[in-house]
Amino acid sequence: MPLAETTNFGTIFFSPESVFEFPHGLPGFEDRRRFLPVQNPRTAPILFLQSLEEPSLCFTTLPILVVDPQYQLRIVEQDLEALEFPVDLQPRIGEDVLCLAVLSLRKTGTTANLLAPVVVNLKNYKAVQAVSQESGYSHQHFLFPQEEPVC
Amino acid sequence: MLMMSRRQGETILIGDDIEIVIAHIGRSRVKVGIRAPRRVQVVAQEVKLVGDENRAAAQAPSAEVLQLILAQLRPGPHTLRPRPDEESVRQDAGTKN
Repeated sequence: MPLAETTNFGTIFFSPESVFEFPHGLPGFEDRRRFLPVQNPRTAPILFLQSLEEPSLCFTTLPILVVDPQYQLRIVEQDLEALEFPVDLQPRIGEDVLCLAVLSLRKTGTTANLLAPVVVNLKNYKAVQAVSQESGYSHQHFLFPQEEPVC
Repeated sequence: MLMMSRRQGETILIGDDIEIVIAHIGRSRVKVGIRAPRRVQVVAQEVKLVGDENRAAAQAPSAEVLQLILAQLRPGPHTLRPRPDEESVRQDAGTKN
């Protein structure tokens, strides 16, 4: 079983079948292709995406429906191709894909990126960060609105 | 901002080495072809935003911060079920401090 060195979790064992493969990387990290989903029962439902190529690179995510139960996923053709889905059908969250919102922890509060969810094909674990143009979703959606600074 | 009207197939030149072609005009989108030197980065604005956001998000938070987030999400069962109990999640997130 392969080993990975990570800054946050130390040395971890993983099974190669559980790796998410981003054929085009993620915006800002185009050359980072392989991420391991890491979940700790004590911090569920948070799911960490640990890079297998850069020990210190780790994203913190939540299932997007936890952030917004009404979230409407809309994936462009190019991303559907990367996920190896037919381009004429939108995949369903939970049935066809895992859909995760990347969290940012800022001084003003925790935000979730709803503009560009991480989408993973549950059949082959191909993944993209799907920028949903024209969706109107924010890349900095406050998780807890009461934390928004009062101006 | 300089505004120009162009028809499908027409081109705009920026400086000596950047060429923008209106390749196709659809109902609500236009397809634009861009020819530019390699040193010039060409990227959709959303992708730039997401890249910046990813760089800001690229470190795992401390245990304290994680617990803070979780405390605000709870109480209520949270699992990776495809459709969580929508109402309770929404209320927890909105009202628990």
